[in-house]
Amino acid sequence: MIAQLISVIGQTALILLFSPLITGFSRTLKARLQTRRGPDLWQPYRDLHKLLRKGMVIPDTASWIFPATPYVLFATTLLAGLLIPTIAAQAPLSLFGGVLAVVYLLALGRFFLALGGLDTGSSFGGLGSSREMTISAIAEPALMLAVFTVALGAGSTNLSTVAESAVGQSWRFLAPSQMLAFAALFIVLIAETGRIPVDNPATHLELTMIHEAMILEYSGPYLALIEWSASMKQMVLMTLLVNVFFPYGLSADGSPAGMLISVLLFVFKLLILAFAVVLVETGNAKLRLFRVPELLAVAFVLSALALISTFLFGGHGG
Amino acid sequence: MMDNRTTRLDEILMAGGPAFTLRLKSSAGEIYADVPAASAPAASAYLRSAGCRHAAVFAEDRVAEDLHYYIYYVFEHPDDTRYLVLRCGVEPGQASFPSLAAEVPALNWQEREIQDWFGLEALGHPNPRRVALHDNWPDVHPLRKDFPIDTVLPPFEGEQHVYRPTLGEGVFQIPVGPVHAGIIEPGHFSFAVAGEPILYLQLRMFYVHKGIEKRFEHLPVPRAVFLAESVSGDSSFSHGTAFCQAVESIGCVEVPEPARRMRTILLELERIYNHVADIGAIVNDVGFVIANAHASRLREEILRINEELTGSRLLRGVVCPGGVRRSWDRGQAGRVLAALDPFEREFNDLTDMIQASDSTRDRLERTGTLHAEQARDLGIIGVAGRASGQDHDVRRDHPYAAYDAVEIQPPVYQEGDVLRRMQVRIDEVRRSLQFIRLAESGLSSGPHRASMPQLPAGEFAIGSVEGWRGEILYWIRTAANNRIARCKVKDPSVNNWPALVEAVQGNIVPDFPVINKSFSLSYSGTDR
Repeated sequence: MIAQLISVIGQTALILLFSPLITGFSRTLKARLQTRRGPDLWQPYRDLHKLLRKGMVIPDTASWIFPATPYVLFATTLLAGLLIPTIAAQAPLSLFGGVLAVVYLLALGRFFLALGGLDTGSSFGGLGSSREMTISAIAEPALMLAVFTVALGAGSTNLSTVAESAVGQSWRFLAPSQMLAFAALFIVLIAETGRIPVDNPATHLELTMIHEAMILEYSGPYLALIEWSASMKQMVLMTLLVNVFFPYGLSADGSPAGMLISVLLFVFKLLILAFAVVLVETGNAKLRLFRVPELLAVAFVLSALALISTFLFGGHGG
Repeated sequence: MMDNRTTRLDEILMAGGPAFTLRLKSSAGEIYADVPAASAPAASAYLRSAGCRHAAVFAEDRVAEDLHYYIYYVFEHPDDTRYLVLRCGVEPGQASFPSLAAEVPALNWQEREIQDWFGLEALGHPNPRRVALHDNWPDVHPLRKDFPIDTVLPPFEGEQHVYRPTLGEGVFQIPVGPVHAGIIEPGHFSFAVAGEPILYLQLRMFYVHKGIEKRFEHLPVPRAVFLAESVSGDSSFSHGTAFCQAVESIGCVEVPEPARRMRTILLELERIYNHVADIGAIVNDVGFVIANAHASRLREEILRINEELTGSRLLRGVVCPGGVRRSWDRGQAGRVLAALDPFEREFNDLTDMIQASDSTRDRLERTGTLHAEQARDLGIIGVAGRASGQDHDVRRDHPYAAYDAVEIQPPVYQEGDVLRRMQVRIDEVRRSLQFIRLAESGLSSGPHRASMPQLPAGEFAIGSVEGWRGEILYWIRTAANNRIARCKVKDPSVNNWPALVEAVQGNIVPDFPVINKSFSLSYSGTDR
């Protein structure tokens, strides 16, 4: 019971406190690749601190959905974070749900965010919400199929079981089904976190925005919650990717030395993945909006192929 | 320069019959003819059929001197280096002139400016609503001479502009502006969309109308140069030069050869720094941020060259009537020439990087297409015109500064999409670098400024410059005591804004910013 409590508190703290650092790392790295100096790693923390102290402007046309959205989004994202294994293979709340719960918790948050964008009646919010829903309608099935591929191999949709079953098989990721599923999830990660070539988080052009257009009317602490949720969601999806496919270092024993190695390896894996995403962002222009579904369709086909090849070649590789 | 390029307009006028016999004035750069207002449509139709292009239309209040308002129609012909100006008198009691906008859509806004500023009605205009003064203005006509410049208008309480409604199931209006998210000037865009595709765009400009043409009046010429420089801040040197050329033409002043070469160099530097910035901004708007980072750095290199040569990064306060305000020595010139080589290398690297990016090309090609016929009808000039098959370039068509010594071959494309508007800029930067080297190599150490005499009162002339956006046209009439009686300013943005309406049609909403950026028009230069 005590151990359970510690792991819940520990993971909550990890996700809350570490997720802005990934955002900061991505931004700094991106700036360096663009020959800019850019803000330092800690800027997202300063932004959150600043926003949390500020006053808010709430549109007169907003209903209860508008103020409820940041809390729902924050809570669902954090909860999803507690369902995935980060440092230890056993996720704190793994008994309460598996990968389906993660996907649908994130979907619930997105649903409210889209409603929040529509709620104020501003044309940009509606624009963003409609685009977000178009994209997620394809991204979600691709995400589901890809994680099913992995779940099939482990015989369970519980992420802790999946991770534990993967720990012993170090070269499993070379199996065709795993590589296909990883590629699909990588595309989904870029789409879900609103990065180039799908969305541009740094643009000021309202007409081209997707995620940013939905939250244009938010300010102050509400905006802080939404920005924080976006960082957490990014970390959740990245963790899903690295720990399901590369579960090295998920400490099984729980000794202090083992924990330390786990933490370092976890951080290292996340930063490598963030670096890969930034490379994609830097080397590409944004896709035309109507091309985005094509990219996600690729992700969907990849996951479908992954699923099929699981049956053809087996999910455990060599 | 071809010798026969100063006779073609005479032949056309001779063949045009008695309508054009009243020759008002003729100079090296312009021919003026008096035509009754009623026969302006016929005269315009004849000149257009003879291959002339309407460059501008504007008005002047001469009621106090000649008991008339005048409407001036400026034409040009590809085979003649002069401008042809038709002048039509309008009696104050009549206060109207025939509109040509139905036949020549290019004159749409300019005729409505005359309506708003002079209170002269454009008879038969297909859309005679206000444009330059917004609907909530009181019923005043600021460019009339009886409107004192220090008038303080009461708070505006008139009606607001009514946008045309767009109806249909699933059709929505998206209002954008006049205040925008980036650091740009105000303009309102009202999109009618069905989902993402744009059905119809309505533009509203003139939010920063400053009454610059009114301000010119009674300003002494040396001070008026600074006002010309601030019409559009990114074209300071071009606007200033166009103004000075008109003044020099009135004063019959020959600008010394070194000064003409220096002007050429600075005009091309202005073109380069704006083109490079725009190339970066275009790819930035499709999310290819790294190319923009390099473009911004290259722009900075040029700004530093500007500072080295003139002391002003944006070339302010450099041009003056008679030449340029200060010269530069061999050492400075050498450093600048030495800096151009690495610049060109890095610029080529930048364009290679852009052209190697498939995802960028995919976004730019066939986006925001302006067809050649549309461009011709709307009188689109400059970069946007050349990308849509309109082969106009003041540097070649009406040579000034030191451009008569070089061969100008403007890059012309037919496709008219965003990619071609960027390609025109890329080609022009390369040519500008050559012009600078050419002009610099022949730069001798002569005087950089001719002395300006007191200008005769009541004289008038045109000054025109190919700014980086396109043709900048000034028409000036002098008053007594070296002052200005009327100064018409035509920035190319006035011609080109309506092109945006055509170019965005059928495109999707998220592509609008990059289409808009590929035209890169001036709000301030339009609004004046």
